[in-house]
This record gives sequence, structure tokens and C-alpha cells, in this order.
Amino acid sequence: MAIRTLSETTGRAKTSQRRSRQNFETWSWLFMRISGLVLFFLALFHFFIMHILNDVTATNVTFVAARWKNPLWRLSDWLLLALGLLHGSNGLRFIMDDYIRRPSTRVAVKSLVYGLAGVMFIYGTLTIVTFKG
Amino acid sequence: MTPANSTIYKGKTGQWAFVLHRITGFLVFMFILLHVVDISTVNSPSIYNAIHRLYGNVLLRIFEVGLLFGLCYHALNGLRIIMIDFFPDSIKNEKRVFIGIFSLSILLTVVGGVIILKPFFVGGVH
Repeated sequence: MAIRTLSETTGRAKTSQRRSRQNFETWSWLFMRISGLVLFFLALFHFFIMHILNDVTATNVTFVAARWKNPLWRLSDWLLLALGLLHGSNGLRFIMDDYIRRPSTRVAVKSLVYGLAGVMFIYGTLTIVTFKG
Repeated sequence: MTPANSTIYKGKTGQWAFVLHRITGFLVFMFILLHVVDISTVNSPSIYNAIHRLYGNVLLRIFEVGLLFGLCYHALNGLRIIMIDFFPDSIKNEKRVFIGIFSLSILLTVVGGVIILKPFFVGGVH
């Protein structure tokens, strides 16, 4: 559906007469592109530091304490948490809309996924904020 | 609108790029959930350090390499999607770009995989 819309807007459709009205899906689309670009750098850089430059067994509490002394690292980790969960649960929303056909099942699975993402967001935020090296 | 000048979904590389994007996205999301839980033990150093010693196990290192592939592929294919969205004419090069990003993901996974797996066999890190 998104592909057809794209060809309509770039094709002979009367774009000049069309008032652009952004609905939720437009903003969702834009959010996925922007958060995706930010996560491209944040997530790959994070993996590089934590798994390539340092061995996974070396990233112990002492390591975290040294790293989280700088509030900018806490902010970067919190951004990864927030954007990762939002980008991920919105991605799962597409998947759930595509494959779960029964409305009642869809509501139940969506509630579970969004609930879990929400709980993880609060839990992760608390971990980052309350840690005292 | 004829298929020649439209961007109608035709399967082939685009279809596999799409399927892999979903699978890797789903798996990375599942890993984030696990990752939030393992990091939450950071206030109990003995548990946290025990978990990270466990991550040094060869099976979990292979899992780590799998995560690297998922991340690399999802990130690079995401750029490919953005490219097609903002520069619709680039759909002509869609297949070559897919082969390019897929090969790059494999390359990064192999190089990163050697670095990740090596300490288990060489030792010294534990």
C-alpha cells in the first residue's frame, strides 16, 4: 500500500490540488526513518565498543561504573533504550497488523507487546538513573 | 499505470530483503528485552558479573555473532529503504544495492565474529 502511495504522489496524481494531511501513519513512517538513522550510528557504535573493542567478559560492573561516571554515556544508553524500544515496538506493530487476523487476538498480543515495551522502558530507565558506581 | 513504470511489488530480491528485515528486526527487539533485564542486575555486582562471565561461553558468543549480523543487516537495509523512499529513481539499482549491503553485512559479521569468538579459544580473558 505504501508503495502505491509513493508512485501516486510521484506520478501523474494532482499533487498541487492535494492538501497534505498528515495522519498517524505518516508520522509513524517519518519516525521510523529518523529513529532508524539515529539508531544506525548509536546501536552500531554501541556494539563496536561493548563487543569488539572490549570482550563481553570484560564489561563487568567496574567497567560500567567507569563508563557511567560520565552522564553523556548514561544519556546515550538511555537514548538507545528509548529509541530501540519505540522503533522496535512500532516495527512489531506492522508485523502484528500483517499476520494476526483475528481482532481479539490482535488486541491481546498488541497489549502484551506494548505493555512489555512500557515496563522495559521504565525498568531500564530506573537502572540507568539509580546506578551509583 | 503499467508494471514497467510503477513500483509494484514483484518479489525477488526486494521480497527477501523485506523478509530478512522483519526477522532481524524482531530478533534484535527480543534481544533488547533480554538486555534490559541483564543490565538491571548492575546494582548486584555478583549477579551482573556472573551473567557476563556466562556470556563468555562459546554458545552465547555465537549468539552474539548472530546479533551482530542482525544489527548490521537491519541497519544497512534500513539505509537502503530510506534511499528508495527519498530517491524513488534509485529503485533501479535496488538489486545491486541489496547484494552490496548483504555482502557487507556478511563481511562485518565474519570480521567481528573472529574478534568475538577468538578469546574463547585463545583464553586469557576469563
